[in-house]
Amino acid sequence: MNSHDITVGGYVAVVIAGVILEVVATRTEAPVPSLGDVLTRIMRTRTGRVGVLVAWAWLGLHFFSQ
Amino acid sequence: MGIRQPIVIVLLLIAFFSAISGKPLDGLLMLLVAAGLGWDAARAGSREAAAAPPGSGGSLPQPGLSATVSAEPPQPQPALAGPPPRRSWRTAAAGLAWVAAGIVYAVVVGSFARFSWPATMAVVGLATLVVVIGWQGPVRARPDPGPLPKPGAALWGGVLLAGGLWELGSLAQQTGLDVTSFAHPTISALTDPVLASHPGRSVALAVWLLIGWYLVRR
Repeated sequence: MNSHDITVGGYVAVVIAGVILEVVATRTEAPVPSLGDVLTRIMRTRTGRVGVLVAWAWLGLHFFSQ
Repeated sequence: MGIRQPIVIVLLLIAFFSAISGKPLDGLLMLLVAAGLGWDAARAGSREAAAAPPGSGGSLPQPGLSATVSAEPPQPQPALAGPPPRRSWRTAAAGLAWVAAGIVYAVVVGSFARFSWPATMAVVGLATLVVVIGWQGPVRARPDPGPLPKPGAALWGGVLLAGGLWELGSLAQQTGLDVTSFAHPTISALTDPVLASHPGRSVALAVWLLIGWYLVRR
């Protein structure tokens, strides 16, 4: 296993952690909110709402625009 | 002061780093949103201070509440009036039209080379439109999930932070900000081969549109 594999493994681990949290939130009684609930809560204020939408917009700009 | 809002500080940092890493347009857009939010928050703070009775402390933050929460009350949500109306054929047709428009957008914009002016204009235009729509408030009513369990919410924050730090670590181990490293690839470097082809770009744009659609309806 080289540095490349370890780095990619780190990203995969983060994604798996997110999937596990979502499963725990939606399939068990554990006090873990789903990602949707977290986003809904954050987006209740204008700053939170615009902040989340700007993060989404930035992704598009980063990968496609000059 | 609106500039003390955490989100404004984060956006200003993103604007700065985007500009110095060769993305002046990204930087300018982030700067504009940061300025707008800062101005908006400052205006809301002034209104609150003016409305508060003398001696009540005005808009001073309450202990245990973040500045964002204390300076800005939640936006009014559209009323939830009973059960949702039954889906009519018009609703279904409108949904199909949105899906068709999304597919056309993904296919057409995906045909443009990355970082070209047509791709830039298409992405910047849509991103600006969505942020402007989001600025007005939610497009449909959603029940408030109420206060989130703090340990559970912190777990989500931890996952986000871990991902960000891992990406930052990879970026720091590149020989330059715009020189990708095979040994320590960033997410951008890993997605480059996928985004090199028209189908890859179209699928990525479709996913980006779906996420945007999901967020704008929260």
